[in-house]
Amino acid sequence: MTALLEQIVNGAMMGAIYVLVALGMVLIFGVMEILNFAHGVLFMAGGYLCDVFVLHLTGSYPLAVILTMVTLAIIGVALERGVFRRLRVNVPMQIVASLGLILMAENGAVLLFGPSALQLTVPSVHSLVRVGELSFTVQHFIIIGAAVASIAALQLFLRRTRLGAALRATSQNPEAARVIGIDSDRVYRLTFAVASALAGLGGALLGPLFLISPQMGDLPLLKGLTAIVLGGMGSIPGAIVGGFAIGIIEAVSTLFITTDYRDMVVFAVLIAILLVRPWGLFGIRVRGDA
Amino acid sequence: MTSASVAAIAIIAALGSAFTMSAAGAAEKSIDIGIVTARSGPLAAPGKFQLNGFQLAVDTINKAGGVKIGSDTYQLALKVYDTHCNAAEGASAMQRLVGVDHVPVVLGEVCSPTAAAEAPVASDYSVPLILTVPTAPDLTRQGNPFLFRVNADTDQLNKALAAYVVERHWSPLSFIAWNNDAGRGGVNGMKALLPKDIAIGYVGYFDVGAVDFSSDVTNIRKSEARAVMLLMDEEPGALAIRQIRDAGLDTQLVGTLAMGSDRFLKRLDAKYLDGMVQYSAFPPSAPLQRIQEFGQAYRAHFGEEAHGFAAQSYDGLLLAVNAMQAAGTATDGAAIQKALSGLSFDGVIGHVQFDGNNQASPPVYITQWCKGGTRKIDFPADLKSGCGAG
Repeated sequence: MTALLEQIVNGAMMGAIYVLVALGMVLIFGVMEILNFAHGVLFMAGGYLCDVFVLHLTGSYPLAVILTMVTLAIIGVALERGVFRRLRVNVPMQIVASLGLILMAENGAVLLFGPSALQLTVPSVHSLVRVGELSFTVQHFIIIGAAVASIAALQLFLRRTRLGAALRATSQNPEAARVIGIDSDRVYRLTFAVASALAGLGGALLGPLFLISPQMGDLPLLKGLTAIVLGGMGSIPGAIVGGFAIGIIEAVSTLFITTDYRDMVVFAVLIAILLVRPWGLFGIRVRGDA
Repeated sequence: MTSASVAAIAIIAALGSAFTMSAAGAAEKSIDIGIVTARSGPLAAPGKFQLNGFQLAVDTINKAGGVKIGSDTYQLALKVYDTHCNAAEGASAMQRLVGVDHVPVVLGEVCSPTAAAEAPVASDYSVPLILTVPTAPDLTRQGNPFLFRVNADTDQLNKALAAYVVERHWSPLSFIAWNNDAGRGGVNGMKALLPKDIAIGYVGYFDVGAVDFSSDVTNIRKSEARAVMLLMDEEPGALAIRQIRDAGLDTQLVGTLAMGSDRFLKRLDAKYLDGMVQYSAFPPSAPLQRIQEFGQAYRAHFGEEAHGFAAQSYDGLLLAVNAMQAAGTATDGAAIQKALSGLSFDGVIGHVQFDGNNQASPPVYITQWCKGGTRKIDFPADLKSGCGAG
């Protein structure tokens, strides 16, 4: 029981990270039908930027996290305008451009920060919360809390603001949205800004707990992508449930099998669910789905 | 001339090499030494230490006027290719070094599988490949006469540690290891060396680049392990230790040569390391002249504490140079290979002489972390020291 509790908390923490990545990817895919495989490097950039902001600019971790999100939002807008807007209807080119961005960003990080991983020390990583014989860092709960708060804020934004309504309208029917006067370019910029800020938040939260390295976004990208496929492409509730489910399934599975097989369990569950519901847990069934 | 360069030149002089000391005799010809290493990707950090060792050796030799081979004096240069620890890229880089660049000898590699892919190319082109970091024992058991290894393999490293574990009866013993040749080979090698009364608790493998060890921590707790052995490098090692201790586990920690340095201490508070033991091929604070002098020269050159991979690589390059001198050629790989087989060399890491498989057997140490972040040597018995000398 102790082991199960420990793994549920650990799984929820990693699941929260997957949710932050998956939410960004699902927003971009839902609104623009772009699968941004370079989303992992935005996560990585969040880790590095947070390190720079803490050590060289603010000295404050919470402030650095906010600055990281703002900077990533600006980078997201630049990416949308500079790269993805031109490739909106060309999926193969989106993939090639994403892979190119990954290589450029990861090698750029090595060039700027060196090949060794960075270790950002913040108080919440060294403060422990004891639960019976178990103990967790405060950062574990900050990550889970930040993900839950981001989900709530995103829902409020989408449901209660005009910009959110414009974003939903563009997602559902871009042509109709344009006819009623919604500036689709503005919506696309906004989508990339929000998605990139969420990825940056993920990197800024996970970096201090583990390490900040050029490859730190690779795993969250893979698991985030899996989460949106599991939850249903384009579904925000699906990305949330998918992200947490993957985090907890992979953590709990290691109580029964060795850790090197945990990804196998995650993908076996994914395949099993897609065999029954090819449109994912919360996706919408469309003509042609089995 | 700085004290570091004096020390470095003293090492070379002690080896009996005929380097030209006078600036007036400056060399005009040059030799490119082939280097294969990881300069990017998750293993770029150990690759950097390896390359630093090669660079320090080359700079020291060139500063002393170059190296005399036959009747000519040469400056040395490194021809470096990044293999990313990828087998295909390693084989391709090796092919280019020997087929296009025509280097007389190649050194390096960080990863065992990549080295395994490079070795046949060395044999095909009759150019020696000298490994200075990979530890998979099988590498030098393939009957390839052109493959040499300066550093101790996993079996050699484990041997001393297994006796240490048995003596203290650390049972059950758990493992967290890289999911590759080095990690799996290390676990299997250790298991083979331990008697039946040392039970094996939990064994967990992780892929290079993984950072979350929480599942391993839970399973180590479940296995009630008295000790956990961490077969990994500096970065994951620091993370794993922090996660084990933060989760409230006080099990004995057993580490690798990457975990016995001040650099490693900087990644963690001393309280995390107190009592941890690790095997080492290069205890940086050992009271041995060769290690102290190398440490000073390395710090003067790169501004940081010396690393074992750098020391092994430094020795590897000096060995290659000695072999070229002994063979009297800077171009004939086969002659250099023959010379290497017969060399006896006292380097920074200790005495290096290749056995019938071209595997060296440098000394292996066991060091232990003391309170306050110092270390002591616990093995071998004749080098046992107090805290502050490991």
